Amino acid sequence: MITKKSLPRRTFLRGMGTAVALPFLDAMVPALAATRSSNPPVRMAFVYVPNGIIMDGWNPDYEGPLGELPRILKPLEPYRQDFTLFGNLTHNTGRALLDGAGDHGRCCASYLTGVQPRKTVIDIKAGVSFDQIVANQVGKQTRFPSLELGMEDARQAGDCDSGYSCAYTNNLAWKSETQPLPPVLDPRALFERLFGNGAALTPEARARENLYRRSILDFVSDDTRKLETGLGPTDRRKLDEYLSSIREIERQIEKAEKDNAQIDPHMEKPYGIPADFAEHFKLMTDMMTVAFQSDLTRVITFLVTHEGTSRPYREIDIPDGHHPLTHHRNQPDLIEKVTQINSYHVRQFAAWIAKMRSIREGDGSLLDNCMIVYGAGLSDGNRHLHEDLPTLIAGRGGSHFKSGRRIVYRKETPMCNLFLAMMDRMGVHVEHFGDSTGRLDALDLT
Amino acid sequence: MQFPAAAKPPVGIVFDSAMARIDDVLALAMLHGFDGKDQARIAAVAVSSGDLRAAQFCDAVGHFYASATTGTAAMFMHFTPIGLADGKPTAESTMFGNLAYPNSIKSINGTADPATLIRNALMAQYDQNAAVVLSGPATDLARLLDMYGVKDWITRKVRLLCVAEPAIQADAADAEKVFADWPTPIVTVGRDIGEALPFPGDSIEKDFAYSSAHPVVDAYRAYEPMPYDAPSWAMAAMLYAINPNDGYFKLSGSGNRRDLLLDPEQKERIIRTYIEMASAKPVPRKPRRPPDEKKDAKKDEKKEDEKK
Repeated sequence: MITKKSLPRRTFLRGMGTAVALPFLDAMVPALAATRSSNPPVRMAFVYVPNGIIMDGWNPDYEGPLGELPRILKPLEPYRQDFTLFGNLTHNTGRALLDGAGDHGRCCASYLTGVQPRKTVIDIKAGVSFDQIVANQVGKQTRFPSLELGMEDARQAGDCDSGYSCAYTNNLAWKSETQPLPPVLDPRALFERLFGNGAALTPEARARENLYRRSILDFVSDDTRKLETGLGPTDRRKLDEYLSSIREIERQIEKAEKDNAQIDPHMEKPYGIPADFAEHFKLMTDMMTVAFQSDLTRVITFLVTHEGTSRPYREIDIPDGHHPLTHHRNQPDLIEKVTQINSYHVRQFAAWIAKMRSIREGDGSLLDNCMIVYGAGLSDGNRHLHEDLPTLIAGRGGSHFKSGRRIVYRKETPMCNLFLAMMDRMGVHVEHFGDSTGRLDALDLT
Repeated sequence: MQFPAAAKPPVGIVFDSAMARIDDVLALAMLHGFDGKDQARIAAVAVSSGDLRAAQFCDAVGHFYASATTGTAAMFMHFTPIGLADGKPTAESTMFGNLAYPNSIKSINGTADPATLIRNALMAQYDQNAAVVLSGPATDLARLLDMYGVKDWITRKVRLLCVAEPAIQADAADAEKVFADWPTPIVTVGRDIGEALPFPGDSIEKDFAYSSAHPVVDAYRAYEPMPYDAPSWAMAAMLYAINPNDGYFKLSGSGNRRDLLLDPEQKERIIRTYIEMASAKPVPRKPRRPPDEKKDAKKDEKKEDEKK
């Protein structure tokens, strides 16, 4: 269907207490008027895993085009053309620099801020994280300047690592040098934030929804019907898939709430948080997908579990705490367990990448228009090393990056150089960030 | 790198050289000797000539001196990368032709940009507890000065820049820039000093004999037909940077830029120190406390308190 009138990008399906943003539809592009401004926006996300990674299972023994991948990255092998793997990126400000022990606190606090955090449990101080610099500029164009998400409940005060406040280990994003942005953990809270017509559903809508177990899609059905009549078949299919994915998220949340109520009605977790790690990860990333798809935000940080966590992984028969295992002292059985945890994380991430890749947007996929960094603030968790940080970017930043490669930079290359390059892709131009020494080169297609 | 927060460690040395003359090699060996005796710490080693084999050699020397460290200390030992100037080598020494010592550098990506490396190293030093020894073109330091915010770090951390003057003339423009813009006192070592204090070639056969395979010995033999004595500009600069107050040398004039003067009475002592430090055996390094041994650390502290 070709029309000269286009659907506004900011179209919402509205109903009682809800506002469902739409994905990028063909109808939003005026026919015969393909301009630069009609290109899908570039989005960025950070998926942070704690306690370092077994680097022997992460780094391939080659540079250039990605071929067979090491064990931990194996789940990403089918998508190797869709990501870029980096070598030798370093966060010098995560190192001790005379502040002694506390690498977990430092590496997390410096990860996106690029500064050495003040060693304290009271008067915390780091820096504005680069995601927030981007959010401050591009966030004006979206409903949420940024989303801060996580999966593990963690306190925000007290000493979490050798004199470093828990605020350092438990947050990635910093709005100011003294104000971290704690992640949202509860899928229900996130869902209501994304699709509520404000901070949350109105009490009436919540009551009605609970009473009849209705979907928010029921509330917007009138708007949906009206919209569908003006759409071509491709857009109708796209809209149907999108709304189905929202319904699926609702079902997952309901299931989690139901399961949790059966397991232990006194559990501390909010009812919406699935007990199973993989289910929780899927739920959060499904909502991240929808948030990107419908341009609700262009900036997301996702602290999978907090830095220094001792969470056990019973889901994969590892009852030991993650952090103690990483101090393996080269014992093969412990290294094997950490490798399994690392692989498990990557497996969940790969499933998200597969989903992002499957969603068509513009001339490519939703993933193509994203820069999704997966990484950690430590490389070797046994020795607490801050160099050669495990880092990959999935997506092409809107056809900018030549993906499917491993690029090894020179040792000590600041991670902040990558951030500068990413800021450029987001349309935010700054000369220096953190300890940057320039922009990371060799990323582009040209 | 982690250091105990309370005690101020010995001076941290940044050694930036072309690694093109045997003098540079001996100065590097001497630095390891001082480091092994806890009289100095190696903050960073950079090669300004762009010669990959020179960087590999520096790394191999580091591994050689680390070879006495075993067990847990070895497990937690951390090798700081070697800096190497980018681009076409300005000098390729024949000293490293048959380098057969273990090292971790396979390509330029196994080395660091010297300016970044030095900046990062300076950030880890106590205030006024670092010194920079330059024995080669001033290219790396000129680039360091151009980096955002670095001049403040230099001012805060570095107490002295000691320059082996004959070596910096290959890059007059950068030398001029460094002399003009460097924010700390500068001491230069003239040609006459190095020539007046030759490192005795017979020491190579005698004092280094503890190891049947020694990278410094091999480099010395490959540099020129034996026997020969080597002038010591870089060694003099290194010695002064580590021990400026020990009376080895005198200084000319006053102000921020001064020249090193030889006190003839100190000649024998200086050469003795050269030999002692350059030929020092590798020593086991103290175990760096593994990150998960906080409980053990507390126990140690308790024991210490009980002793007091």
